Amino acid sequence: MPKVKVNDIEIEVPAGTNMIEAAKLAGVEIPHYCYHPHLSIAGNCRMCMCEADSPRGPMLEIACNMQAREGLSIKTETDKVKAVRKSVMEFLLVNHPLDCPICDQSGECRLQDYYMDHGQYDSRGVDPKVGKHKRQDIGEHIVLDAERCVECSRCVRFGDEVTGTGDLRLMNRGDHTEIGMFPGTRLEHNYQGNLADICPVGALTNKEFRFQRRVWYLRETDSVCTGCSTGCNTKVCHQEGEVFRTLPRRNDDVNKSWMCDPGREVNSVVGSLTRLLRPTVDGAPVADATAVLAARIKAAGPGRTGFVLGSSASLEANWALLQVVKANCVGARVFRVAGNNAGSIVKSDDFLMDADKNPNTAGVALLADWAGNVGDAEALREADLALLVVLEDDIVSRLSGNPAEAIAYFGTHTNPTAELASIVIPVAHVVEMDATYVNRQGRVQRARRATNPQGEAIPAYQALEKLGAALGRAPGTSMPTATFAAMARTVPRLNGLDYKALGAGGRPLAPAPEPAAAPAAEAK
Amino acid sequence: MALPKPTKTLTLSESSYLVEVLKGMVLTMGHVIKNIFDQDRFRTIEYPDVRKPMTARYRGAHRLMLRPDGGVKCVACMCCPTVCPANCITIVAGEAENDPAEKFPVSFDIDMLRCIYCGFCVEACPKDAIRMDTRIYEINAYTRQDMVHSKAYMVNLMDGLKPEAGAAYRADHAIKPHGHTPDEPPVA
Repeated sequence: MPKVKVNDIEIEVPAGTNMIEAAKLAGVEIPHYCYHPHLSIAGNCRMCMCEADSPRGPMLEIACNMQAREGLSIKTETDKVKAVRKSVMEFLLVNHPLDCPICDQSGECRLQDYYMDHGQYDSRGVDPKVGKHKRQDIGEHIVLDAERCVECSRCVRFGDEVTGTGDLRLMNRGDHTEIGMFPGTRLEHNYQGNLADICPVGALTNKEFRFQRRVWYLRETDSVCTGCSTGCNTKVCHQEGEVFRTLPRRNDDVNKSWMCDPGREVNSVVGSLTRLLRPTVDGAPVADATAVLAARIKAAGPGRTGFVLGSSASLEANWALLQVVKANCVGARVFRVAGNNAGSIVKSDDFLMDADKNPNTAGVALLADWAGNVGDAEALREADLALLVVLEDDIVSRLSGNPAEAIAYFGTHTNPTAELASIVIPVAHVVEMDATYVNRQGRVQRARRATNPQGEAIPAYQALEKLGAALGRAPGTSMPTATFAAMARTVPRLNGLDYKALGAGGRPLAPAPEPAAAPAAEAK
Repeated sequence: MALPKPTKTLTLSESSYLVEVLKGMVLTMGHVIKNIFDQDRFRTIEYPDVRKPMTARYRGAHRLMLRPDGGVKCVACMCCPTVCPANCITIVAGEAENDPAEKFPVSFDIDMLRCIYCGFCVEACPKDAIRMDTRIYEINAYTRQDMVHSKAYMVNLMDGLKPEAGAAYRADHAIKPHGHTPDEPPVA
């Protein structure tokens, strides 16, 4: 790997690494607008200008268009570079309106940040600023303000390279250049929110978040999207227990920097009216529904009690369910039911939106394989059950019918299963607990607790701990870290993983043991 | 805790107290006699009939400014609640259709029980929308809710610079309108 120097700090990076990324590895931040790690290089903002050594002495060059090669040395803090940055800032801001008080981007705006870091000049403007089209409704989720645009063309490249729709274009010349759509067209794709994310200024802003909250009030918590089995890495932005927006978090192995529009709305239901807030038994609120459930499980007997693993629930919750069954209900049958919940996202495509809308299908399959003897939907239909304990999955919709005499439902929101259930125990939504999910690639990813659970909900693994205690033997799943550690010790494909090892970006599962091993033994 | 030792030992006349008490009475009676014969020196102001003139930089209750077209100047940028050290300002922003300002405060409440009258909100405001120049210091109410000044209330303090200063305020509080106006000396 070639060695490059950034401000005389020598680092080794793979050949061809973009110098903005290389500098980041060396701990040097190069300011930029148009460069984006997942888009092509445009080189039109000129903000990343730095001095590179050449046979003719140090030359000014844009870092985004430089690739790491042996002996390359750049300097980012020379007087010349600083003067260039200042001039570039002045140039970009010549026609920029003073919209900061009403602009949703302020607080996370590159123009604001870089002006304070690299601009700080006194305005020399004497001519009136060039006015452009403001507050244009260009799509279901996006508002365009052409005046605020710095013509970095990130959104144009996103339309060309990621969605392939090519809808946004730069039009006209000189200081009349503005971003816009063809007449009569609107953004039609399902990845519009990313346009607001990649816009380094306030030209493209999100309609759902418009004027909702200033960004500097929001705290960000790493999470995972539970809208489908892709498991896009997300940041949940919340303030005082209320979730205001969900943004994609970069993970080159899963979602790069993108996420779909329906996924952004997944967490908006956290505090919705359909949320289950109080434990109920036969429609009446009770203080401790787990005790009632334990009594009914005992009354029904293990032979006529079934448990359904939840592909919308976390690994920890499913593990807790299996442990409760193993410790207290030997002989009870465990099922898992494929399909989607009522009210889940309808759309799917071949990019990020998977047709399987359960965030943990692979995780449930993993645990089911480990536990063995887990029945499917057909087995559940045929089983003669007095009581069915359901973990988060909306099985009534999935089976189009009630398969048991009574249902006990652990869930976050009301749905056909919750409406039919005789016992309802509210559990925490993904933003309200620490939990892990396995996505369609078999990647174990962790979501962190951002807010406190609504109402009397508690994380499902804690509710199941209470149920286990009421049945006689608690599974020891009240703490997510210890629960995951116990699971990782026991389940071979999770061996060696813990919350620390998962880190921010998650870790792939160990490969499944070769199913070919059994026939090979037969052959011998 | 040990008490500090007296730094000065008292003389005989001081420790007897009698002389000191008489000295005090002489001083008091001196003021009484002077005040009787020279009433212009009177230190007491007969509030609320007479008001103390406030200095030019005295702040008092907040008011919200209007644009020439009658809309509020505030665009709900949230700079004032951000800078407020007492956390007393609550703004709910909304989108203003057919208005180039785009954003406006649907509600703008200041909890005067929390406010410490530091004036940071005025300094932070990029639109000169909030001012503390009414010099109204009689901020009182019978309930906590009434101590929260609303947008409509603070907009009505708009006439604060005119002779009928704070008319709405005084009407609410049944205060006779003979007080000073901020730019004029108090009227006796």
